[in-house]
Amino acid sequence: MSNISDSPADLKGRSSSNDIGSQAKVYAARMRLQSAIDQADALDAIREIAANLIGTEEVAVFKVDKKRSELWLYWSFGVDPNKHSVLEVSREPKLKQVLSGKSVYRLKLSNENLLSTDDPVSALVPIVVDGSPSAVIVLFRLFPHKPGIEPVDREICEVLSHCAGRAIEPYHAR
Amino acid sequence: MPKKVLLVDDSTTTLMMEEMILKQKTAYECVTAKDGLDAISRAVVEAPDLVLMDVVMPRMNGFEACKRMRLESTLRETPIILVTTRGEEEYVEAGFQSGCNDYITKPIDSFELVTLLHSYLGE
Repeated sequence: MSNISDSPADLKGRSSSNDIGSQAKVYAARMRLQSAIDQADALDAIREIAANLIGTEEVAVFKVDKKRSELWLYWSFGVDPNKHSVLEVSREPKLKQVLSGKSVYRLKLSNENLLSTDDPVSALVPIVVDGSPSAVIVLFRLFPHKPGIEPVDREICEVLSHCAGRAIEPYHAR
Repeated sequence: MPKKVLLVDDSTTTLMMEEMILKQKTAYECVTAKDGLDAISRAVVEAPDLVLMDVVMPRMNGFEACKRMRLESTLRETPIILVTTRGEEEYVEAGFQSGCNDYITKPIDSFELVTLLHSYLGE
């Protein structure tokens, strides 16, 4: 791959390019989710956004049960579904925060995992439908060359949180 | 006349993002294709100045499309940059063996993308 230097001019250019890049990623994520034609397409949109814009090919969606005590695996890509069939809220402190509607991210260089599993979890993102979290997107291991969740990834996750309702509620308005 | 870039990816999300970055940060004209087969026919017709192509695609992957493009006399010298999810040596080597000039890893960094394209096409 070509070498890219970091002179002051380059850094200025990088900042400007990255602003455009961030806007482009957030815009593309929003448009992709909003143009999903049905539930299957909305789930595929989540996979596409995770792989192409954030940098992980291991993703799962868990639906929140009525008592809000457990989350059941609803759909996954690139992870062993038998290993992650159910998450108990009482055993996963980070999930309580997610069920209040806030995404949780693994900090760069942190050894603390977000869930009690040996698979590294990079982000927990609530899917908010009618103002309430109905499901949680779990982003697992990032690509090896991706150092961690970046600010733009958080913006993309916010889009996922508020625009991915159709993935779990087929008749949810876009 | 603006330089023409052929963007190839089965993901509409990626195509949308790449097109938006290039439209905002360069004067290049963009044309798109959704898989390797589509890319070859588009490339023959459009004669792009550069091809930016995903590797994993339905019908025909980026490695195969790259090899076939190199068999077309009009595309033999066209710079081809592959977009991969993996930066491992073996994978990159397979890309170069298929005839690509360079590669960039997903998720795409806009500065890296623009700098790379400028290095082949000029500003």
